[in-house]
Amino acid sequence: MTTDVTERALAVDVAISATELRQRYGDFEAVKGVSLAVRKGELFALLGTNGAGKTTTMEVLEGYRPATSGTVEVLGMDPYRKRRALSPRVGVMLQENGFLPDLTVAETVGLWRDLHAEPRSLDESLEMAGLADKAGVRIRQLSGGQKRRLDLVLSVIGRPEVLFLDEPTTGMDPEARRATWDLIRDLVKEGTTVLLTTHYLEEAEQLASRLAIMHKGEIQVEGTLEEVIARHGDRISFRLPAEIPLDDLPRIEGHSADIALAGGTPVVTYTITGGDQATRAHTALVPLLAWAGERGVALERLAVRTASLEDVFHSVVKETA
Amino acid sequence: MTDMAQAVRLARVDLTLVFRNRTALVNAVLLPLLIAGALASTDITGGTAGIPAAQYLMTGMMAFILIFATFMNLAGFYAGRREDLVLKRLLGGPASKAAILGGSALGATVVYLGQVVILCVLMAVVMDTGAPADVPLLLLGALLGAAFFSLLAMAVSGLSSTGEMAQIATLPVVLLLVGGSPVMLPQEILPETLRTPIEFLPMTPIVEIMRTAYLGLDYIGTSHEPLGLLERWSAALPSLGLLVAWIAVAALLARTFFRWDPRRG
Repeated sequence: MTTDVTERALAVDVAISATELRQRYGDFEAVKGVSLAVRKGELFALLGTNGAGKTTTMEVLEGYRPATSGTVEVLGMDPYRKRRALSPRVGVMLQENGFLPDLTVAETVGLWRDLHAEPRSLDESLEMAGLADKAGVRIRQLSGGQKRRLDLVLSVIGRPEVLFLDEPTTGMDPEARRATWDLIRDLVKEGTTVLLTTHYLEEAEQLASRLAIMHKGEIQVEGTLEEVIARHGDRISFRLPAEIPLDDLPRIEGHSADIALAGGTPVVTYTITGGDQATRAHTALVPLLAWAGERGVALERLAVRTASLEDVFHSVVKETA
Repeated sequence: MTDMAQAVRLARVDLTLVFRNRTALVNAVLLPLLIAGALASTDITGGTAGIPAAQYLMTGMMAFILIFATFMNLAGFYAGRREDLVLKRLLGGPASKAAILGGSALGATVVYLGQVVILCVLMAVVMDTGAPADVPLLLLGALLGAAFFSLLAMAVSGLSSTGEMAQIATLPVVLLLVGGSPVMLPQEILPETLRTPIEFLPMTPIVEIMRTAYLGLDYIGTSHEPLGLLERWSAALPSLGLLVAWIAVAALLARTFFRWDPRRG
């Protein structure tokens, strides 16, 4: 009963959803049953390697192509069939810019303003793009990063409720990337729902309230940053002491050891999941060190690594390889 | 914003860009005027189909120059912008498909109509032919011709992988459509077996309507007699019908072959 009510409340709050989305190009299935739900007002990041199916998923949600199978909804509508109704409420920034290179910055902004019913002002747009002093410059003379930033501004000139950003900071230097993150944070503060794809894990860590990692056309991991990392667990590793037989290794907090060879030496790794994320590595170390003390061995190269998004990402790519 | 308002806005951008791109400026704007101007200034003696040859040629040119701005250049525009992802980017915004495609077609049509006006002035003033007899019929012929070639440009662009390839791909179509049409020479000089198929090609009704409208003489039939207003329009009706049918065919081809996305499949 309670779950039912919660689910219904969630459904009302969902701005973008995909259910069992499949997308096929000839014999190649680029997206193999993706389900996701982005709540109103949140920024959801879709991570993945090249060819993971991120852009294809985005293009179906943006209404560029119908889904081969499954259903997608944006603001409660089919984005492909209701493109006209949705387009004033949705902003799209593609992976590549698609500018008319011979127009000036101001002319480009002017065109997009005129196509919208209630656009942001020219000055505000130029300010957001960081191009206030470049209004009269031709697009072809802008740097890659400047073009990306301008493209982002074009996609929000009509103050969309839902914004799709496909790798928005590609080609930017670290300074420009930070400025762009600030811009995206401001948009989320204004209440914009954002679905963003990125190669940069830090971008997702900085911006996303929830994220998913896609690989080979499927979502492998999904949740808040904390959830994803917590599920992945902390790693405790050390060289297997020569005098200790394998089956003498203890179980720690219910986890057994994994053995891998590193440079000819067996290395023991415990993966500690669950529990309190802040203290679980410490909690696991206590019985391990006690065990080593009882056996009278020193644990060489003992290392404790708390999980990072990067660890999660690499293990997803490795495990589904 | 309505489709029409968006199309007009996008057409304005295209007109700006034609004048910033030297290749487009030469191919779409200057070249057709140069060709027509060269024809007008040559000393052609003698007559064609009952009128001075220069008049016959110039009225043919009014239809012929459709192939520059509204066909070759437009096909290159559409294909080039598809490959540069401009079309896809615009489609991600609030403009409708009709406004995006129609905007470029409208811009090209404005360029073409400007050229027709220049040719009319050349004829009226330099060649002393007088003003067009039937401006509405002339304009209707020009607009339907522009619609036909714009749709055909969309179809050709979809079959080409770059803007340059699209322009080249228009050439065989141009040869087929213009080659046998009465742009330069009357059909009467052709053998009977060729005459009938050529009468049904799309360029023929465009030329016939525009020539008849300008000169006020019957160049739809073979009489070349002066026609009154009602006679002109009733004589033009079959040609208008044929042209509308061709527009429907071109629309179907555009629908089948036009692509928004460079990605195949």
